[in-house]
Amino acid sequence: MIPARNHVTSHGLRKFTALLGLTLAAGLAASTAGAVDPSRIVDADKSPADWLTYHGSYKSYHYSALDQINADNIRNLQVAWTHVPGRSTRGLQSMPLAADGVLYYSGSYSRLFALDGATGEVLWTHFPELNEDLIATQTHSPYNRGIALGHGKVFVGTVDGRLIAVDMKTGEPAWDTKLIDSEKLTVGFTGAPLLVKDTVIIGAQGGEWPSRGPIFGVDAATGKKKWEFFTVAGTEEAKATWGNESWRTGGGGGWMPGTYDPETNAVWWGTANPAPLYDWAGDKWQKEGPRPGLNLYTSSVIALDPDTGKLKFFHQELPHDAWDFDSAVGEFLNIDRNGRKLMVHPNKSGFIFVYDRSNAEIANVWRLVQNINFVKDIDPKTGELIGRRDMAAGKHSNLCPAIPGGISWNTGAYNPNSGLYYKVGQEWCMDLEVVKTTPIVEPQIQLNIGANFQLRDPEGGKAHGHVSGRDPVTGEKKWEVNFTEPPLASLLTTGGNLLFVPDARGYLRALNATTGQEVWKHNNGVGHNGGIISYSAKGKQYVAVETGWGSLVGDEYAALFGEPYKSMPKDSGALVVFALPDQPK
Amino acid sequence: MSPSMVPDRRMACWTAAVFLTVALAGQALAEAQPTTDEKTKTEQAEVPVNGEVLFATSCGWCHQQGGRAAGRGPKLAGSKRDDDFILNRIKRGKQGAMPSFEHSFNDEQIHAILAYIRALPAQ
Ligand code: HEC
Repeated sequence: MIPARNHVTSHGLRKFTALLGLTLAAGLAASTAGAVDPSRIVDADKSPADWLTYHGSYKSYHYSALDQINADNIRNLQVAWTHVPGRSTRGLQSMPLAADGVLYYSGSYSRLFALDGATGEVLWTHFPELNEDLIATQTHSPYNRGIALGHGKVFVGTVDGRLIAVDMKTGEPAWDTKLIDSEKLTVGFTGAPLLVKDTVIIGAQGGEWPSRGPIFGVDAATGKKKWEFFTVAGTEEAKATWGNESWRTGGGGGWMPGTYDPETNAVWWGTANPAPLYDWAGDKWQKEGPRPGLNLYTSSVIALDPDTGKLKFFHQELPHDAWDFDSAVGEFLNIDRNGRKLMVHPNKSGFIFVYDRSNAEIANVWRLVQNINFVKDIDPKTGELIGRRDMAAGKHSNLCPAIPGGISWNTGAYNPNSGLYYKVGQEWCMDLEVVKTTPIVEPQIQLNIGANFQLRDPEGGKAHGHVSGRDPVTGEKKWEVNFTEPPLASLLTTGGNLLFVPDARGYLRALNATTGQEVWKHNNGVGHNGGIISYSAKGKQYVAVETGWGSLVGDEYAALFGEPYKSMPKDSGALVVFALPDQPK
Repeated sequence: MSPSMVPDRRMACWTAAVFLTVALAGQALAEAQPTTDEKTKTEQAEVPVNGEVLFATSCGWCHQQGGRAAGRGPKLAGSKRDDDFILNRIKRGKQGAMPSFEHSFNDEQIHAILAYIRALPAQ
């Protein structure tokens, strides 16, 4: 730590020495607590200073109990420090984590950073060497959506199919395990891993890439693969739901981290859509077309045993998904209501599913967005799709929502004080032409879409987005704020009764969590499509947000909305950290 | 020859190869190609060499309305780019924006896609 020494006055020097003493003491405390035992993640509620796992805790609230920053003093909130990771292809898309005053995060190319949470000073970095020839053939690469912490290690996946562990203290590599033959299958890992007890769990990309979308369990200590679960035909029962052996090119995957329910020892994970995205069988999809049948376990919520990878129970949100409306969103909110233990999960289609936490039986289904016509409805008692819009080859007009979905992959947030669930909804539609395709699997797997399409405004209005505060179980709306373009970043809510919304144009906005009224904003200079957390270092609360633009959904904005997206860079991004000044201004 | 000239020379060779390819008819092309390409071709026997279908399989996701409108990628209909540029872009892609397809599609397929793009009405 080298402050600008020539500027230190004698008064400043005394202060500096005192601070150094404090730092050393804190350092010592951290060295005993620093390993992040998995029990700390189970009890994450008890350590609001930290953000130990992607969703904040296994409850998936994206809520920080910290309340130093609140609606009364937020007007003083200012940038405390910034970190620029470089090579930020498609913007930063990960979720920072914080433990014992240290902030950890990943950038594009799975670059890892450990920073002093109070100053942003670099403690260590690790830049894995990736197969760049492979990356040149990948569509989604090379962004990274986050890391996991535990057992003294930081875990990150790579787009060339590896899961890597490095030492939390030094960044020294601990192990590096190749899990997927990405050179052949094209997909790798972009999503964050989830640590559950002694196992690191990570799901592969898949969806429109015709393979079988595996989820892996890996020994946190050794890097040895413990199990692999195929989201496409992972059981004999599931195999029977893919006619003509179409499971071989089924798609699937689980590209966002789910969560863990310690009470039932179940890992909940959302799975991706089948390939091709669009199916020309029309209403004969049970028997005809490229993938006849239900296509288990795509566009489903599955519960796996973390120790064995065995399927405990599941619910397929969209049987035979013909619209690319994954269940891959990783949020699984633990909500207890009237003695019932529930799990709330958003589906890309714009519907929110509420499950019984013990068996994934449907407790309710509600709509977050208005423009939905791929089904007439989903039965809130059974989850059954009513009035499916199954399309045959040829032209189809005004399918809603459009391919980026009514809900995107970044997370919402739930505030236990307000009792409200905050979530971005997307209102847009598209025209398309369904085209019969053949999966390309040699020599390297290629996208299999099965349609040409164009995004458009919904009938009678403009494409737009909104953030609303709602009852997570009934969907009852308390307030809603409209955005001319849907924000694409994760949300954060805090004990200071605040909701942070990093928007697409570049503003980080803070809303009153109870009323939705805007109380503060700051322009970060580029759009957001990544994570946001709050943590505390040396007793002070910080809010850390990732900036940078260019996710595959954001890519649509230039054509749809014009400026500022036409000229917005897609190769930059930074970690921007906010705090209150030491003395109020 | 300075080292920096190496890629230029290769590029020139490659461009020549493209012209050659364009000049040759379909069957002659297959015969003229080195064995690796033939291997690729037999492995892909199932995949039709049909520009429209290939486009809807792997390109339409980014080039909207089958290349007729801008989306994630630019509008391709009525492109003023020359054939070399388009063939080159499909083969090599552009890092962070568009994947490269040179390992997956053989010349015949890439030319079929080019023909499809050229046949799109300019407006
Ligand atoms: C992941 C999205 C994506 C996919 C898939 C994709 N492209 Fe592109 N394409 C782009 C983007 C973005 C650009 C603009 C690149 C630049 O110049 O910045 C582009 C540029 C091009 C260009 C050059 C246009 C010009 O005038 O500069 C051509 C030609 C093209 N693509 C054809 C194709 C074909 C053919 C396919 C399928 C084999 C394909 N693309 C697949 C995103 C994509």
